[in-house]
Amino acid sequence: MGSLNEIVKQQQQSLTKPEENVSEDIVQLVGFIVGEEEFAVPILSIQEIIKPIEWTRVPFTPDYVLGVFNLRGNVLPLIDLRIKFGAAANEIDENTRFIVMKIKNEDVAFIIDRLTSALRIKKKNILPPPDTYSNEDDIIEGVGRMDDGRIITILKVDNLIKREDIVPNGN
Amino acid sequence: MDEIQELLEDFLVEAFEMIEEMDQDLVELENSPDDLELLNKIFRVAHTIKGSGSFLNFDKLTRLTHHMEAVLDKARKGELTITSDIMDVILESVDAMKGILEYIRDNGDDSAPDIDIEPIVVKLDAIVNGKNTEQSSHNTADNVQTGEKEAKIVGNINLSEITLENADEIDLDSLEPEELDAVLEHLVQLRNQKEDSQEGKVNLNEITLENADEIDLDSLSPEEADAVLDHLVQLRNQENSKENQEKKEESKQSNSENANKPAENSNTNVAPAKSKEVSKEQKKKAVKKAISTAADQTIRVDVKRLDQLMNLIGELVLAKNRLIKIYNDVEERYEGEKFLEELNQVVSSISIVTTDLQIAVMKTRMLPIGKVFNKFPRLVRDLSRELGKKVKLIIEGEDTELDKSIIEEIGDPLVHMIRNSVDHGIEPPEERKAKGKPEEGTVWLRAYNEGNMIVIEIKDDGRGMDPEMLKKKAIEKGIITESEAANMSDKEAFMLIFKPGFSTAAKVTSVSGRGVGMDVVKTNIEKLNGIIEVDSAPGKGTTFKLKIPLTLAIIQALLVASQEDLFAVPLSNVIETVRIIEEDIYTIEGKSVLKLREEVLPLVNMADIFEIEKVLEPEKYLYVVILGLGATKIGLIVDRFIGQEEIVIKSLGEFLKGLPGIAGATIRGDGRVTLIVDVGSLMRLAKETHNKKVVTESLNEAKKKKEKPSDYTVMLVDDSAMDRKIMRNALEELGINLIEAKDGVEALQLLKNNEVDAMLIDIEMPRMDGYTLAQEIRKYNKYRKLPLIAVTSRTTKADRVRGVEVGMNEYITKPYTPEYLQNVVRRNLGL
Repeated sequence: MGSLNEIVKQQQQSLTKPEENVSEDIVQLVGFIVGEEEFAVPILSIQEIIKPIEWTRVPFTPDYVLGVFNLRGNVLPLIDLRIKFGAAANEIDENTRFIVMKIKNEDVAFIIDRLTSALRIKKKNILPPPDTYSNEDDIIEGVGRMDDGRIITILKVDNLIKREDIVPNGN
Repeated sequence: MDEIQELLEDFLVEAFEMIEEMDQDLVELENSPDDLELLNKIFRVAHTIKGSGSFLNFDKLTRLTHHMEAVLDKARKGELTITSDIMDVILESVDAMKGILEYIRDNGDDSAPDIDIEPIVVKLDAIVNGKNTEQSSHNTADNVQTGEKEAKIVGNINLSEITLENADEIDLDSLEPEELDAVLEHLVQLRNQKEDSQEGKVNLNEITLENADEIDLDSLSPEEADAVLDHLVQLRNQENSKENQEKKEESKQSNSENANKPAENSNTNVAPAKSKEVSKEQKKKAVKKAISTAADQTIRVDVKRLDQLMNLIGELVLAKNRLIKIYNDVEERYEGEKFLEELNQVVSSISIVTTDLQIAVMKTRMLPIGKVFNKFPRLVRDLSRELGKKVKLIIEGEDTELDKSIIEEIGDPLVHMIRNSVDHGIEPPEERKAKGKPEEGTVWLRAYNEGNMIVIEIKDDGRGMDPEMLKKKAIEKGIITESEAANMSDKEAFMLIFKPGFSTAAKVTSVSGRGVGMDVVKTNIEKLNGIIEVDSAPGKGTTFKLKIPLTLAIIQALLVASQEDLFAVPLSNVIETVRIIEEDIYTIEGKSVLKLREEVLPLVNMADIFEIEKVLEPEKYLYVVILGLGATKIGLIVDRFIGQEEIVIKSLGEFLKGLPGIAGATIRGDGRVTLIVDVGSLMRLAKETHNKKVVTESLNEAKKKKEKPSDYTVMLVDDSAMDRKIMRNALEELGINLIEAKDGVEALQLLKNNEVDAMLIDIEMPRMDGYTLAQEIRKYNKYRKLPLIAVTSRTTKADRVRGVEVGMNEYITKPYTPEYLQNVVRRNLGL
């Protein structure tokens, strides 16, 4: 038993190692538009991207929590990043998508206005967020400068929502 | 080690089960001391525990049960009548047994330093001896406790003169049977004492299978003989297992070289394990003998597996609901088609099988409530003796089954309620006599099924409760105000006993009234989504009814709509649903209440609780769900009843769980998510809302006065600017507001941002046509009644039919006269 586990482990290591070597200086991201701005998250944090489906409102939540919806039998919360970032709610059109990401082992979906592209960016091109950014919740990982001159805000997925912000303590 | 552990666990499970049963049987025995069958059963249980205990080397337990067995044996042979005093001692020893067993469970040995069995053993012996001498009195036990030193004289024989050494000199044949018994018992006792002080005189280690023949068994005391035999059996087993092991080794050796290692250990490790296994066999046999019930074929299953199965069934139920929904849609669309019949059969059979499967799995988790009820005869007996009352407990429906998790939760509340009934309900015998009641009070404990609920009834024929007294007390303690008391019905007054800080016991006894009170009962029952009902008549008695749902994972729910949001309310908490008009609502001290038959219920609008924006026009009728939880009832105003459905409870996940008022979510047949109301939490929210918001005001929030034509807005939807102009010209004369949209998409957008009272819709438009627009609009509950008027040049019958299908109210064909259009609009606005 133990030896089998070890073999599996070794295999995994040998599989992931070369990639790790590459990813040491290259980060793969998925870019999307929310409001006027382009954001990106690491491709590995994305579970899936789906077209908008109907959701159910949930009372006593901040307004950026739009509600919950059914993704193949699981009930997932739906977050509107635009409201979260202090802009107005977005209209849903044919470009709107739900990005499902894993946050602390829970699937959470975020509404985005439009997907842009999958991006590869060199680590050295990612800079810490400038002081002018309001980064109170520590939701910004850094700012990426693309080869074509675009500036992309890279989000810290784990900090996008916090339970204590949603459900007030002790009910 | 594992095997021993397993064996020990088996032993404990069985022992606890048997003792529980024994408890009940003993109390029954006290009432019918001549029931030989019962006596035999009890005797067998004691005997079995003794047997199993000695196999596992639990000496303390064995010693205790042995002495208890002796008493029971006497009773069984008719040489002893079980009186209440004797029963006290027997029950005391059963308690000690329980204590030792618990200690074994927790620590793995029976040293149980807190439990001193010696006084009990002495008392037990005293009963056995005392009866024989026929000079027994009820204080035998006391005598004998010190009586070890005193001379005991049986018939012509002075027992104290007899020692183990001179025992041979007694002429046993010359003795009377009683004398013989006493002498033998005395000798056993002496031997036990001796054993305690020094090791038994037989050194088991010296005995081997080879020299066994040389032992003179006759010279040994019965217990020594037992020990020797046990030892021999063990040796024999070791021998056997060694042989087995060797045989295995032989075959193994040819296969692998590794086999040597275990072979070396086999002498030390395997042998004891084997012998335990054998003793397990023997024990099983003994248990089988002891429990004479039919040999059911059962297997033990990890509860986790059942939970997993239940989850899967949950998914299946969801899929089934979905299938039924799709079938209904298909049925509408393809009415009269042949394949429908077939589809119908498949859908119904899947639906039936799913339901059956669900019930079957639920049943595997069910246990008879007798498991909980069993401990109450003993409880009532002890209580009534302690309180000097005479109480009879009548148990009915102990076969009624409940989910395991609920069974575990319900024990404590029931103990509390039974105590309450015996302590506060039933009067002392003198008082009962004076009232012309039988001296012996009765407590009924009854369980039965009622729909999806199980009802547990605790009833007594005691003094009952006086609602006025309760109210007075509650006012004194500041639990309610005077005016609240004045508005309180009797039933509501009874519910006061469940309020924290309310205790009616005039004096605090050791039994009840220690400050925990009935509010704990209420909390526990609420945790199970249960309801408590109380009924009482002064002087006649009190009845408590606990209504508890059968299971917790899949529930029946009432689906309601509050504005446009749907909610599922657990049906077990829905007492009834009523339709009222605004005039049925009263306001007392600024709070809205509903008078329903005898009761006055607080009334809250669900939309106020969940802070849902009110967009619907209030209607003539209001729909109210009467919710009950624990001892509280409220009326909850909703906007529509959708229906009853079986739902599967799903968590809202780490981020959203624990929201006030929401227990979870379920997925409906159409794939949408519906929130499930947490009735307990909702009740608390409702109380807050009730205190600050008057229902009638909140109802009228959405109602805006419309008096003159300029209060109305009509939307014109047409892609042709000229057609819009024609409509505008015709309608401007009415003095109403007009807004324009040039296609369906724009119209929907405008509709969201404006208050619109009617719409004129062209059918053929780019982006979104009139049919689709109407369909979209009708999806919203809010626009269910919004007049939609099709204005089109499409005139075929099919077009009209389609118009009706998508929810158009009227159908106007172009061209039309301005007057005709005005009339239609006026009629639809009610101008």
